[in-house]
Amino acid sequence: MKHARVLFNGSELDVTVEDSFAETGLLKSKTDGQLINEADVTWLSPIKEPGTIFALGLNYADHAAELAFEPPKEPLVFLKGANTLTGHKQNAYRPDNIKFQHYECELVAVIGKEGKNIPREEAMDYIAGYTVCNDFAIRDYLENYYRPNLRVKSRDSLCPIGPWLIDKDDVGDISNLKLTTHVNGELTQEGTTADIIFDVPFLVEYLSKIMTLKPGDMIATGTPKGLKDMQPGDTVVCEIEKVGALVTNIVSEQAFYGDKY
Amino acid sequence: MSNNPIVKGKLVCVALNDSEQFNAMQAEFADAPYKGAPTQPVLYFKPHNTWSTDGAVVEWADGADSMVVGASLAVVFGKECCRVSEAEALDYVEGYTLVHDFSLVEQNYYRPDIKGKCLDTSAPIGAAVVPVADPQALTVVTSVNGTVVNETPVSQLVRGVAELISTISYIMTLQPGDVIAVGFPGQRAPVAKGDKVCSVIAGVTELNNTLGE
Repeated sequence: MKHARVLFNGSELDVTVEDSFAETGLLKSKTDGQLINEADVTWLSPIKEPGTIFALGLNYADHAAELAFEPPKEPLVFLKGANTLTGHKQNAYRPDNIKFQHYECELVAVIGKEGKNIPREEAMDYIAGYTVCNDFAIRDYLENYYRPNLRVKSRDSLCPIGPWLIDKDDVGDISNLKLTTHVNGELTQEGTTADIIFDVPFLVEYLSKIMTLKPGDMIATGTPKGLKDMQPGDTVVCEIEKVGALVTNIVSEQAFYGDKY
Repeated sequence: MSNNPIVKGKLVCVALNDSEQFNAMQAEFADAPYKGAPTQPVLYFKPHNTWSTDGAVVEWADGADSMVVGASLAVVFGKECCRVSEAEALDYVEGYTLVHDFSLVEQNYYRPDIKGKCLDTSAPIGAAVVPVADPQALTVVTSVNGTVVNETPVSQLVRGVAELISTISYIMTLQPGDVIAVGFPGQRAPVAKGDKVCSVIAGVTELNNTLGE
């Protein structure tokens, strides 16, 4: 089943996504069973109470090579604030006066059960399901302190996520899912989760050895090669086979912040 | 989600903000892997599994030979704070409190220190949240088992409270219940199992914790 959260008639609503969604755009309210059309909602982040957002750097062999880095011997993990999250078909902004902002299409594993010191063999028991995120990066802001630093990776709206959370069992094997990114309809990134260096069971074991993982925590598993600069007006679609296609519109900093600009 | 009544959303900490440490490290900053001193505040998150309270027993990290602690003045936001100037920054603060950052010994600052900083219960926050007119005039004093190990005036920080709030608010919108720990002493204090750690800001608040066995 696919679970989403939307804004409908001014209220936040938990919905499931109907099997006919691709043809009908229908969502079903978890409150009263009412059917709602996608055209009448604003998509929100599918995780109601986001916990810790872990993200992986250089976790695809091909991407590490693209950036001229040796593949890491240990996971490069960084944390993101919940301020970065926004829903499907929402705006993300390009900061003023920068040279290079790129998307990163990533499979996200969402924790469903609390655990510490979880062995790899049991790791999947702690996963509720999956979603897609676009973990934007602004390369101009990289500095060699806690790299990739929060100024690069923890900006408002720069981690769109969704459209929905799909139950783990509905996806099954995640070891060879196709990932693609299209910018304005053009295919710009293509890869497969088969190229992931540190896989989800490894990461659950690794992180839970350091700290307790809790429901709502998320692990964004990194991105394959295929970087491209983004500009206001661009539409980016990050898609992962069997999981979903996440659409984001790029706007200027001024358009995003409006009166607060 | 929170194990602490003060912090509700995010706990942002500022590293390398003690001017004594910052100045002493200039030669190191010039070398690899840094290749230049930081031009921006060096920030890290303490995630929600780390949050704990005044009086809490802080878990000793599994298998660790040594741990260290630093204390910081912390800003608690009372209003949404998005892209504010330095001049208006303090208007968004509900009050001030203390954060203890227990961690493994800091090896370097090149990569995010998940292993060292994300330990369960390693970020006690409290005890009270108190309004203060001039946070730059405060001093944080930390003792381990009754012996003073650090005394850091906020005025010794490279970047002051208002400047940090402004800069960070242009990166991420801060929400009520978000907390910024503005700066820790460059020399973190070593602690052992069972140690009692007490930090005080005179006239504001006090934070007491004990290391687990």
